[in-house]
Amino acid sequence: MGADEPSTAGAPIRQASLWRDAWWRYVRNKGAVAAGVIFILIVLYAVFAPIFSPYDPNKVDFALAYISPNLEHPFGTDQFGRDLFTRTALGGRVSILIGIGAALFILVIGTAYGALSGFVGGKLDDAMMRFLDALYGLPYLPFAIIALQIAPSVNAFTMMLALSIASWFTAARIVRGQIISLKQNDYVRAAHAVGARWQRILFRHLLPNTLGILIIVMFLELPGVILGEAFLSFIGLGINPPDASWGSMAQEGRDAYRVYPWIIIIPSVFIATLVLCANFIADGARDALDPRTRE
Amino acid sequence: MTAFVLRRILWTIPVVILVILLTFAMMKAIPGNPFRRSDRPIPESIQRNLNAKFHLDDPWYQQYALYVKGVFTFDLGPSMVLRGRTTNQIVKDNFPTSIELGLLAFAWAILIGVPAGILAALRPNSIFDYAAMFFSNIGFAVPSFLVATLLIYFVSVKAGWVPTSGWGEGWQPDSRKILPSLALSLVPMAYFARLVRASMLETMQQDYIRTAKAKGLRWRRVVGVHVMRNSLIPAITAAGPLLGYIITGSFIIELIFAIPGIGTYYVTAVEGRDYSVVMGLTVILSVIIIIANLVVDILHGFLDPRIREQSA
Repeated sequence: MGADEPSTAGAPIRQASLWRDAWWRYVRNKGAVAAGVIFILIVLYAVFAPIFSPYDPNKVDFALAYISPNLEHPFGTDQFGRDLFTRTALGGRVSILIGIGAALFILVIGTAYGALSGFVGGKLDDAMMRFLDALYGLPYLPFAIIALQIAPSVNAFTMMLALSIASWFTAARIVRGQIISLKQNDYVRAAHAVGARWQRILFRHLLPNTLGILIIVMFLELPGVILGEAFLSFIGLGINPPDASWGSMAQEGRDAYRVYPWIIIIPSVFIATLVLCANFIADGARDALDPRTRE
Repeated sequence: MTAFVLRRILWTIPVVILVILLTFAMMKAIPGNPFRRSDRPIPESIQRNLNAKFHLDDPWYQQYALYVKGVFTFDLGPSMVLRGRTTNQIVKDNFPTSIELGLLAFAWAILIGVPAGILAALRPNSIFDYAAMFFSNIGFAVPSFLVATLLIYFVSVKAGWVPTSGWGEGWQPDSRKILPSLALSLVPMAYFARLVRASMLETMQQDYIRTAKAKGLRWRRVVGVHVMRNSLIPAITAAGPLLGYIITGSFIIELIFAIPGIGTYYVTAVEGRDYSVVMGLTVILSVIIIIANLVVDILHGFLDPRIREQSA
C-alpha cells in the first residue's frame, strides 16, 4: 500500500509529461500533421523506391531518352534514358541526407558554442557574442563555397560540413539565450546550493531542457541547408553529375527545359515540398513545445 | 545619437578585418595552385617568377598584411587567371549590372510585398489574407532556379512577351530586366509581406491604438499615421539581411539568365582557383552586406529611440 504502487481502481493512470503534452498539442495542428506525414512519405520514397524499382538509375540508353511522364516511367526519363522516378528517389537520399546531416552539425556546433557562452557568462560570454556578431557579417553562400573548396573532394559529408560551418550562428545564439534563461531557475540554484558540480548542472539539468528548442531549431535550419545544397549543386559547385542529388538533377535538366521541362521541374518540386514541410513542422513544433509564444 | 552612430561604425571595422582574415585563411587552405594547370605544365623558372610577383612564397602573415593594405587602398590585386585584368577592373565592369539587378529586385519586393502585407493585416483571415500568406510560404520554399526557369518557360517561351535572357546596356529600361529581377525578388517579397502583416497585427492590438479609436480619430488616420509608423520599423530592420540574400541569390539568377554580373564571375573564379578574384569579390560582397547592415541599424536607431539606449 505504498504511494508508488500502481493504482488498481478504475482505468490505468497515464503519467502526463512534457513530451506527451507537446505531442498532443502538435497533433491538434492539422497543417503540421499533414506536413509531417508528407515529410515522412518523401523520406520513405527516397529510401525504398530505388530498392524496388525495376530500372537501373545509372544505365544509359539513348533509345529511351526524353520520354515524358507516363505509366511506365511515372516521372519520365532524362537525356540519358534513365528513369527519373528511381533517380529522383536516389537524389532524394543524398539531398535529404545532406540536409539532415548539416542540420545536426549545426545543432552540435551551435549548442557547444552557445552553451559554453551562456553557461560561463560574464566576460567570456560578452567576447563570444561579439565574435559571433562579427561572424554574422559573413555571407552564407560564398562562405560555404569557399569552405567546400578546402575539402579534398566534394561529397555528401563535406557538403554537410561546409553548409553547417556557414550557418550555425543563429543556432548558437538561440541555445545561449535558452541556457541563460534556464540558469535563472530555482532548481539550478538548488542543485548548486546542494553542491552539484558544474558538469552535473550542465549535462543533467540545463542541456536536456534545451531539447525542445533544439528540435525547433533543427527544422528551422533544414530549409536553409536543403536550399543551400540545391543551390550549390545547381551551379556546379556541389554534388556533380552523374551523382544524383536534387540540385544536380535540376542542373542536368537546365539545358533542355524549354522542350522537356519535367527534368528540372520534378526535383525542384521535391525540394520545394520538403522545404515547405520543414517550415510547417517547425511552426507546429514551436507551438507544441513553447505555447507561450502563440498569438 | 552621434555616440550611437559612432559606436556602430567603430564596430564594423573589426568585423571587416575578421572577414578578410577568414577569407584569406580559407583561400590559402585550398589545395591546388592557380598556375599549375594540368594541361600545360609551367617551367620551373616561370613558376618561380610568378610566385615572386604574387608573393606566394612569402610567409603567410606578410601576404596577409600586404593584402589588407591593398584592401584599404582599394587595390584588390590582379587576377591570376585572366592575365592583364585586375580584380578592380572585373569589379568595375560587372558590378553595376549586379547592383542594378539587386536594386530592381529590392524595388519589386517592396512595391508588391509591403502593400500585400498591409492589406492582409487590414483584412485578417479573409481570402486575401490566406492567399497572401499561402503565396509567401511558397515564395520561401521554392528554390530560385525553379522560379526562374518557370518564369522563362511561361513568359518568354510560351507567351513570347519578353526575350529569354541577356541584359540591356547601361541603366536603360529594358524588357529583359523584368524577369530576372522579379525572380530574385520573390523571397524578399514574401519576407516583407509576412513581416509587415505580423507587425501591423501586433501594433493594432496595442492600447494606444485603441485609445486613438476611442478618441474618435478617423480610422484612416489611425492606420495611416500611428499603425504604419510603428509597424514599418521591423520591415526596415529586415532590409539588411535581405540585401545579403539578394546579393548571394543573384548568382543563380545571373547564371540562368546569362547576365554578365559579379555572380557569374564569382563562380568561374572559384572553379578556376583564381585566388585574388575570389578573395576580392568575397571581401567586397561581405563589406557591402556589412555596410548595408550598418546603415539599416543606424536608420533603426534613428527611428526607434529605444534602440539607441540599448546597445552597449
